[in-house]
Amino acid sequence: MNVRIKRLAGLVAVLALVLAACGDGGGEASTTNADGANGNASGSIVVSGSSTVEPITARVGKAFDEANPGVATSVEGPGTGDGFARFCNGETDISDASRPIKDEEAAACEAAGVEYVELHIATDGLTVMTNPANESVSCLAFTDLYALLGPESEGFASWSDANDLAAELGAPHAPYPDEPLVITAPGEESGTYDTFVELVITKLSEERLGEDNAFTRADYNASQNDNVIVQGISENPTSLGWVGFAFFEENQDVLKAIEIDSGESGCVAPTPETIAGFEYPLSRPLFIYVKTNDLASRPELAAFVDYYLSEEGLAWVSDAGFVQLPADDVAATRAAWEGAAG
Amino acid sequence: MVIAKTPGGTIIDLSGDIRRRRRERLVKAVFFAAATFSILISLAIVLALVGKASSFVSSIELNQLWADGWFPRRGRFQLPALLVHSLIITGIAMLVAVPFGLGSAVYLSEYARSGVRRVLKPTLEILAGIPSVVLGFFALQFISPNIVRGLFPGAQSANLLSAGIAVGILTVPLVASVAEDAMRAVPLSLREASYGLGAKRWHTALRVVFPAAISGIIAAMILGISRAVGETMVVALAAGLNGILNLNPIEGGLTMTGAMANLAVGSDQVAGDVSAFQSLFFVGLVLFALTLGLNVMSERLVRRYRQRY
Amino acid sequence: MSAHAEALSATELVRQSIEGRRLSPVDTLVAFTLLFTLLSSVVILITLLADTIAAAMPVFQSRGLSFVTDSLSPSAEEAGIWQGIMGSLALIGFVIVVAFPLGVAAAVYLEEYASDNRVTRFIGANIRNLAGVPSIVYGILGLFLFVEIFMGGVFGAEGGIGGRNVIAGGLTLAVLVLPIMIITTAEALRAVPRGLRDASLAVGATRWETIRHHILPVAFPAILTGSVLTIARAFGESAALLLAGAQLSLYFSVANDASFVDLVSNQPYTALPIIIYNFARQPQAGFVSLTAAAIVVLLVMLLTVNAAAVLARDRFERRYR
Repeated sequence: MNVRIKRLAGLVAVLALVLAACGDGGGEASTTNADGANGNASGSIVVSGSSTVEPITARVGKAFDEANPGVATSVEGPGTGDGFARFCNGETDISDASRPIKDEEAAACEAAGVEYVELHIATDGLTVMTNPANESVSCLAFTDLYALLGPESEGFASWSDANDLAAELGAPHAPYPDEPLVITAPGEESGTYDTFVELVITKLSEERLGEDNAFTRADYNASQNDNVIVQGISENPTSLGWVGFAFFEENQDVLKAIEIDSGESGCVAPTPETIAGFEYPLSRPLFIYVKTNDLASRPELAAFVDYYLSEEGLAWVSDAGFVQLPADDVAATRAAWEGAAG
Repeated sequence: MVIAKTPGGTIIDLSGDIRRRRRERLVKAVFFAAATFSILISLAIVLALVGKASSFVSSIELNQLWADGWFPRRGRFQLPALLVHSLIITGIAMLVAVPFGLGSAVYLSEYARSGVRRVLKPTLEILAGIPSVVLGFFALQFISPNIVRGLFPGAQSANLLSAGIAVGILTVPLVASVAEDAMRAVPLSLREASYGLGAKRWHTALRVVFPAAISGIIAAMILGISRAVGETMVVALAAGLNGILNLNPIEGGLTMTGAMANLAVGSDQVAGDVSAFQSLFFVGLVLFALTLGLNVMSERLVRRYRQRY
Repeated sequence: MSAHAEALSATELVRQSIEGRRLSPVDTLVAFTLLFTLLSSVVILITLLADTIAAAMPVFQSRGLSFVTDSLSPSAEEAGIWQGIMGSLALIGFVIVVAFPLGVAAAVYLEEYASDNRVTRFIGANIRNLAGVPSIVYGILGLFLFVEIFMGGVFGAEGGIGGRNVIAGGLTLAVLVLPIMIITTAEALRAVPRGLRDASLAVGATRWETIRHHILPVAFPAILTGSVLTIARAFGESAALLLAGAQLSLYFSVANDASFVDLVSNQPYTALPIIIYNFARQPQAGFVSLTAAAIVVLLVMLLTVNAAAVLARDRFERRYR
């Protein structure tokens, strides 16, 4: 009797495996042939990196796969830094990035023999935000942000604690009200964090503290989950934080964007136009870094990038909520790709 | 080997049949291998942890372990911060699990009639079967906004209290079932003697049976602690990423398991700076040692009450 | 179990004959308080289910069952959990194939063959310790042993998914649930009456023949219950898979023309609880109800497995009692 049971269990197990084999890739697959996509491609494409860029690449990947069912694609978003680590280890084919590659990372890639091309595919704006009920803060300059969020601000529990530092820096929008400063922002593994540090913190921290101090204060509510960041901002009347523009746009009703004072042009609010034109001081380019070592033997990878940079492919950028490149920049990116792909 | 041939049939002596004896030995050997396989697993775990943890420790300077906060990518590895946060969550979880778990166990063992028991005990079993991601989502979407924020409006959305409550809910069935087993193991003669001396039911349940089962009950609590310390998904979703030592339960905090999940999800194999990702194994080793110690302790206690009865 | 309840009611009769039928006020208070703790679990369970189902309703109303059959997608309106379901089923397949035979064999050895000496007690203690190891530590084991050494070494790590395949994930889960399988099977074997063994051995059967023809069939319903617990555990497991290589992504696809071997060794995979974790982390508002809907599907699948097991156990129990 038990022999039969064991056979039955074995059958169930095999059935489960077979079902999994047949069922994968399920859902409705359309057969539209996208521009530049080779319907006969096969192989696998592994993408990792920025969680900001992930939604764009995921959409591109999905559309590409529908036209090329023989290709296996996987798109993950552990963070720009972690993505580069995998990329320079040779584990991934494309690295999504919400900031340019750092020197150490480029060196690591070189050491590992990974050649790549940097392709600028979209633009994002870092949106500094507070609660809509916060009337007292509407515009801040980089010096203000450094006073509130920089490495010398650890322990500042209320906005007014930063007044002295702000006065020292000559921050135009100090003094700040005496209200609790509750900060919810991305954690260190994200490119969003890195971009903020690079644009806002680094210059001032290097001047004042020397090298190796380009960090924000450590005592804030870090979250990998933009959901939690948005929640943290929207539920605290005097909160402060930053996310990418796309996430801000989706939650505009519960957030208030703080305009950034760039000095010459005054306070600029983040909008698709100000971001695309880089008027908004916290605009950041979004990249994909493509491994070019063996493009000749990887036609599916070349086809994927061709599709990405095609008009249809780049249209996914706005579908994902980001700002599309103006025509000149698109041409420049395509030229860079042509140059690398040969 | 044929013993005799009768008109009714042939009598065969099977006992010496070489095939049977050989099969018997083979089966025993195979089953023995299966049993010892578990030792291999333990060895593999220890090997993986110790090997990678030691390469971590050798790649950092020891003062980094006392740095200000757990920020692996900044080279700050304040393990005590993680330990404190884990302890806070465990403490909150036990505040939930011990009253509800032990109370349920006493009721099921001493008070419940079989009809009531048949309906209510499965509830605990269902609760035990709920995956921890589900409870993590519940903590984030229900416990935090409604209960924690309701009581403490200034709380962050990801805080130690909601995660602790959810872990406590997860642990109730474990505590209840082990404690109940311990109380059921107490012989009826003790209860009958108690009633015979005129004790009321509550006195019997709480002052006779409960103390008699105390080692099993403590084992239940220790197992609960071990479970709470090792819980990952709930804290990954609901306890926040705050790496700085924080004693305030309405704020977030990174626990040991949370730190490991954080490193796992952003697999940080930065070439040249191995230490950030390797810290995962270091924390894993500490966690493993901690839960092992707790489990061995509870094992001893269970053996004690099993032997007594 | 019922013996204890019967004896309890006998004790209850004794108590009543001494004290009278009514419980004293203190007793009522204590009984109430204790019942309250038990009922709280019921209330919590119901709240959890109600809240989750309520949050999931919009998804099922607007998309019905297509939510179950769609693949992952970065947009909340299109994302579905099919790949997670398939992945979870495949992982369960591995668990069944690897952990069940190993678990039953190990339990049979410990209960039927092993004499009570230090080695046996050590193995038993070791298994109980393994049962208490946090699942993320099993994830580390899976990463170290199965992903890097077995799969990475065997299947190569140049691009592709480098060893993070469903075999590695399945083996990790199998190792994780093995102690549970051993412990529940051992308990099931222990519950078989001594007399059965003795009678079988007395008529000349070998140990293995006794086990195979008498003990295992009788213990089978309880072993089945244990297997269901094991499967349920594996189904809901996510921490170990995070490290062992399941895809935590908004989107991935598998080559349509992949052979079965290629599928299990070179293609990415994911599991339903991992998808739930990923959905729960997404900021877009639509993903909240998506997470709740995925949870509902997971709970329904768990319920089905449990119900099937209860049915199967009843059926087998009738046959062998």
